[in-house]
Amino acid sequence: MGAAGSKLEKALGDQFPEGERYFGLENFGNTCYCNSVLQALYFCVPFREQLLEYYSSNKSFADAEENLLTCLADLFTQITSQKKKTGVIAPKRFVQRLKKQNEIFRSYMHQDAHEFLNYLLNELVDILEKESRAAKSDPESCSSSEQIPNGIKTSHMNGHVREPLITWVHKNFQGILTNETRCLRCETVTARDETFLDLSLDIEQNTSITSCLKNFSSTETLNAEDKFFCDKCCSLQEAQKRMKIKKPPQILVIHLKRFKYIEQLGRYKKLSYRVVFPLELKLSNTVEDTDAEYSLFAVVVHVGSGPNHGHYVSLVKSHNHWLFFDDENVEMIDESAVQTFFGSAQEYSSNTDHGYILFYERVDVGNTS
Amino acid sequence: MISASNPNSMMSSSSTTGNNNAAGSGQQAPGLKTYFKTPEGRYKLKYEKSHPAGLLHYAHGKSVTQVTLAHLKDKPVHALSSSSSSIGISSGVKSAAAKFLGGGNGSRALSFVGGNGGSKSSSGTTKVGSLSSSYTNSYTPNSNFDGKGTYLIFNVGDAIFISDLNSQDKDPIKSINFSTSNPISHAFDPDAKDGHDLLIGLNSGDVYSVSLRQQLQDGGKKLVGAQHYNKDGCVNNTRCTSISWVPNGDGTFIVAHADGNMYVYEKNKDGSGDPSFPVIKDQNQFSVSHARYSKNPIARWHICQGSINSIAFSSDGAYIAIVGRDGYLRVFDFKTEQLICGGKSYYGALLCCTWSMDGKYILTGGEDDLVQVWSMEERKIVAWGEGHSSWVSGVAFDSYWSAPNSDGTSENVVYRFGSVGQDTQVLLWDLEMEELVVPMRRAPGGSPTMSTGSQSAHWDHAWPPGTLRPAPSMRDVPKLSPLVVHRVHTDPLSGLIFTQESVLTVCREGHIKIWARPTSSTEPNSDSSLSATTLKEKPRLGYRQ
Repeated sequence: MGAAGSKLEKALGDQFPEGERYFGLENFGNTCYCNSVLQALYFCVPFREQLLEYYSSNKSFADAEENLLTCLADLFTQITSQKKKTGVIAPKRFVQRLKKQNEIFRSYMHQDAHEFLNYLLNELVDILEKESRAAKSDPESCSSSEQIPNGIKTSHMNGHVREPLITWVHKNFQGILTNETRCLRCETVTARDETFLDLSLDIEQNTSITSCLKNFSSTETLNAEDKFFCDKCCSLQEAQKRMKIKKPPQILVIHLKRFKYIEQLGRYKKLSYRVVFPLELKLSNTVEDTDAEYSLFAVVVHVGSGPNHGHYVSLVKSHNHWLFFDDENVEMIDESAVQTFFGSAQEYSSNTDHGYILFYERVDVGNTS
Repeated sequence: MISASNPNSMMSSSSTTGNNNAAGSGQQAPGLKTYFKTPEGRYKLKYEKSHPAGLLHYAHGKSVTQVTLAHLKDKPVHALSSSSSSIGISSGVKSAAAKFLGGGNGSRALSFVGGNGGSKSSSGTTKVGSLSSSYTNSYTPNSNFDGKGTYLIFNVGDAIFISDLNSQDKDPIKSINFSTSNPISHAFDPDAKDGHDLLIGLNSGDVYSVSLRQQLQDGGKKLVGAQHYNKDGCVNNTRCTSISWVPNGDGTFIVAHADGNMYVYEKNKDGSGDPSFPVIKDQNQFSVSHARYSKNPIARWHICQGSINSIAFSSDGAYIAIVGRDGYLRVFDFKTEQLICGGKSYYGALLCCTWSMDGKYILTGGEDDLVQVWSMEERKIVAWGEGHSSWVSGVAFDSYWSAPNSDGTSENVVYRFGSVGQDTQVLLWDLEMEELVVPMRRAPGGSPTMSTGSQSAHWDHAWPPGTLRPAPSMRDVPKLSPLVVHRVHTDPLSGLIFTQESVLTVCREGHIKIWARPTSSTEPNSDSSLSATTLKEKPRLGYRQ
């Protein structure tokens, strides 16, 4: 081994970051969806650190039962504790556990990386909530049973709802959207909060993420068959609806909806649209006073022309270097190479490597608490 | 297929220009209109320029096409020797080039990225009243070829193409191949004293200066009579991102690189030596080092960490605006090598910049999808143009335009400018300073306190000279809306140029469209006289008085 590894080490030279490990992940037959997301999560440093910290301080629970959280923590520990700086690791236990637990991922079919990420994060949240409940249930056991499922909750505008459990997964990935609906008859604004772990954006040809985000929170009119039931008017009314980001997350995960169901075809189609994403981003449609500022640190890339086949790779920024992870292989790439994963400006193109999930980390630390 | 030598090419292209130029390689996609409306009338697609189809090299797509407009003046070129054999080969080329002599007078030579070279545009505009391109359709096969005319120089893949702006031929009249590396940037100086007026910068960092006229006279596919600088990247082997002549600089030119360095060259100086500049200690620190010996490059400016994306000189050559990967616009006094002012984009890299002719404003465009208007008087961003749905890749002031009813005495000056983006659209804007209003500072959540964030609180305050401003907050900057939004190509755009008669748009893949300005159909002769007065009215003040 080590031929590729030593090449990477050579490329980095004495700039190889202290204590960092760059390991490829073995593919067990179409598990690239899993590998690409795992790499992105591993290089989401606050997530990695908090996972390892939680794991080491809660060993007693972890010993009891194997679950996705313990498998993920084991895998990350395995990587960080390697003697060598580069190489390949087989995420065998994690993948086995994943397949055991969810039949969707059991087959050797091509899987959706976003679906996997979503499943994994929600699963981690569930495990953490369960463990916290178990910990609390010793002194008093009743009231925590109505925990929110899957991190999606709704709360009313005013009245204080009992604080739901905020796990470290929430602290990293969870943001809050406000869905504002203004009844066009009585002008009453109804605001409904929704939490999210990632934003799924509709995409258009030759646009930017900025523009997709703008469309996401643009005002939409509810009319005709899609009227809004206004509580004040007690009837269906025309209304205007818009989404605002109430609380920008620490880690902003943006999923580009590249797989679209085409009714005429009766099947999903991959949209190869060119959607440019900047290395820095701000969310300006927030309720907060200041614009939340982000920096791109990982991209999960779908390679291939269709939704049911293809390959996943990831681009990761670690200590100001960009790395390209393709299952077992790890290479250093230039920052400008990120641009080659924007998509195709024309429908028929030989370029099939398209940015699919973007990971941005918040940089204006001073503004959050 | 080289269609420059195809005798039928002229016929066929002229027959299609009447309606829709169905292009061979850059198909006229459905939904792309051949005109767009402005308050002063319709801009119509006049014709297109492109590179021969099927000339897509393996390296194609890696480099983005840029266009430089070159106005070759009428002057004797006896100094340049050209063998009789080369004349024979290129005779077809010559007649094509000479076809529409006189058109495009007054077109300022300006590089796409830099907007430089427009310094002495008055010399080019003196003939404006006498000739109008629309009426000089006479074909003069025997005209002495002297290269006079207006040319488009653009890069595609590993080649530089030269097209005659005023011919209807879609195909270029000349191609120059670079086997070693892709040409990326180029600039033209209409006032070059010796023959060398064209600069070409490569992906490998290499730089050439050549005579455009000599290239046109030569029949081959190689660069001829070139002076080679930074050979094999010996001084700097990173991509040559932007290149510019220093206006009134007596052959001085600037080359910006992808590693944040910028070099000053003098074309009459030797470039073979090793200038050995000191190692840059702090990548984030601006520094200038001069070569110890009188050799090229004579100076290195370290501007920033990451790539410099575009440089532009004010028309008098006093100031240079620089934008790059770090999102900052920096304005330097070129002579004193001092940072004058600058500031950060809303977010992301800045990709392009240009000056207004009077030196009062700088436009930038970048990865935040915004067109920024920077005021040199106020030393801050005075407006954000919102309207692109992707990155802004080209900006330019329309210095030939003036407000329809302006009599030259009005205090309220209106600037017309254009921008192109990776959203495949061209946008036109009017900047009227008196109409810009700073948005109300609404306090969110109904609280009336002025609890704006730390950035915006001091953003409005006077900023010490020679320092860079942080990014303003979205609500602190007045917004502009575009006058016109028009989708012009199917591919992302990379630049635009305003000329006397038209607006040129170019896409990354190397297709150029020429949009004729509105003409008043009732008075066929008003065209030239109108434009002559327009030019007189336009203030052409140097920034420094």
